[in-house]
Amino acid sequence: MTSVRPKLKPETPKAITAWDTASGQTVWLSADGQWTSDMTRLGVFTGRAAEDRLNEARAQEHLVTDPYFMEVTAAGTIAGRETLRETIRAQGPTVPYGEVPR
Amino acid sequence: MYRYDEFDAAIVRERVDQFRGQVSRRLDGTLLEDEFKPLRLQNGVYLQLHAYMLRVAIPYGQLDPAKLRRLADIAERYDRGYGHFTTRQNIQFNWVGLKDIPDVLQSLSEVEMHAIQTSGNCIRNVTSDHFAGAAQDEVMDPRPWCEIIRQWSTFHPEFAFLPRKFKIAVTAAEDDRAAIRVHDIGLHIRRRDGQIGFEVHVGGGQGRTPVIATKLNDFVPETELLDYLEAIMRVYNRFGRRDNKYKARIKILVTETGADEFRRLVDTEYAAKTDAEKIALPQAEIDRIHAYFAPPDLTRKPARSQILETAQAANPAFQRWIRVNLHPHKQAGYASITISLKPIGGLAGDATTAQMRVVAKLAEEYGHDDIRVTHAQNLVLPHVALDDLPALYADLDGAGLATANEGLVTDMIVCPGLDYCNLANARSIPVGQDIQQTFADPDYQEDIGRLHINISGCINACGHHHVGHIGILGVDRKGEEFYQISLGGRADHHAAIGDIAGRALSREEVPDAIKRIIDTYRDLRTSAAEPFIETLNRLGHTPFKEAIYAAD
Repeated sequence: MTSVRPKLKPETPKAITAWDTASGQTVWLSADGQWTSDMTRLGVFTGRAAEDRLNEARAQEHLVTDPYFMEVTAAGTIAGRETLRETIRAQGPTVPYGEVPR
Repeated sequence: MYRYDEFDAAIVRERVDQFRGQVSRRLDGTLLEDEFKPLRLQNGVYLQLHAYMLRVAIPYGQLDPAKLRRLADIAERYDRGYGHFTTRQNIQFNWVGLKDIPDVLQSLSEVEMHAIQTSGNCIRNVTSDHFAGAAQDEVMDPRPWCEIIRQWSTFHPEFAFLPRKFKIAVTAAEDDRAAIRVHDIGLHIRRRDGQIGFEVHVGGGQGRTPVIATKLNDFVPETELLDYLEAIMRVYNRFGRRDNKYKARIKILVTETGADEFRRLVDTEYAAKTDAEKIALPQAEIDRIHAYFAPPDLTRKPARSQILETAQAANPAFQRWIRVNLHPHKQAGYASITISLKPIGGLAGDATTAQMRVVAKLAEEYGHDDIRVTHAQNLVLPHVALDDLPALYADLDGAGLATANEGLVTDMIVCPGLDYCNLANARSIPVGQDIQQTFADPDYQEDIGRLHINISGCINACGHHHVGHIGILGVDRKGEEFYQISLGGRADHHAAIGDIAGRALSREEVPDAIKRIIDTYRDLRTSAAEPFIETLNRLGHTPFKEAIYAAD
């Protein structure tokens, strides 16, 4: 496992995020257990249910790599001290890159 | 340039097929990530913040047009239209899908390229002086020795699982442009009584424990080099720490053992080699490799070019570019030129597919098919006739590649930082861009003169902040980005580790603080001829530290 992220309290709302194994792109687990690249569809989990979902996610290594908890609000927006990191994972670099006018 | 023989070609081809099978097994779930990770790393594949990253080896930073065009094709077809040149003279693609990587490696193999040993705890790409073979101040072209070391270290079974990664750099010039003193092994080629040999430095490095290398040996004759290197590697492999990855680099072993004892261990290991074990490189093999690096056939030309001088007089921007980005060539009538990949507000080291293709074309037209990657993340055409410089400049300018800032304050080494990297604590690229905007005026930059600002987004120091004249290190404070400034580092033949100036600054504070440092230098220098680093060393750091925190 490559990511050692801050430990979150059981009651803290959290999403489960990972890398799509084939493409490497950021994905999140939706409330109905599907992996999605649409962040608006991420599921918010707490407590034992969150732990169970993460364990299930870890068993899907052919689909996703290195799933982990990320902190979100109850409404599912990124929260906590890793907000910048997770925002960049969701949206890409904060600077224009590649074929951009300079 | 070295060309693959049938064995090289076959082994790279077989390696691609092997990795294709491993990727297939990873995608169908037969291989789990913990099992696959060491396999992908051996093929240069990292999993970064939001994508896989593929690091492709560019041995000692040398490319030809066919290779550069292929890199452009890969960027276009499998990535997002650009590549990132690194401080170890390699290139990285930031968005390649794992499922496509076998095809990318196949494509690379067709132009004699690969990603082998660009990661993992093995001997990595051997780096060198980007002006090798052209520089006036070299005792010989170091590339043949880089190639010999590359061949020796590639797939060397004894050194495939070292305690940690291992980096070797080679220079043959007094002015060290390869940063050899911050490498695990740094080799300086010397000539003594007509004989070629190697001054060997060991145990340099950056990261969380920066160390300047120790000189281990003044002169190892060329025929003994590989045996001597092997002795060092064996001592490291045997005694290097494997209990803690942060203490596993050879710099820790040399520091903890002490230079004299480490030297004794190496000498003992070297002496213990039996004749049967010795590599004892035959002169014929040395000569064979040297033949691949024969200098280009440069037509004899006068030292001054009327065409160049007329063009300079007519175009101040061109005149500036000549003043800043040109490096003297050993043959009269020629120059080495730096193609800056540091446009103001750009991304340090990035080149688009279109730019790569332009450089490939220009290398064909004007550069004897030779292109180099520099450890400062720029490109170089080492052999250009002075007469051709106006036409070359016009084409570079049209491609956004004519920034005149080589070695100046806006020519920063910048790591990818939190915009790309899974290890980073803070962003580097936007901080570099803000500093560039502060010093965008080319007259201001030229007045400041040579000054290296290096920026890293975490303590791993990929942005070489420890050896920047001004170093900037991104740190995380409860989810907020802060930046620690250091002063007085340098990577050249007077290599030194910078001193941390004081409390870390917010991102918004950084550009103005850097400007205050530099304006203090301009006030205190004896003349414009005294570079920043010399003023700093002459006066000490205090006035510059006071300048950083003047706003407090």
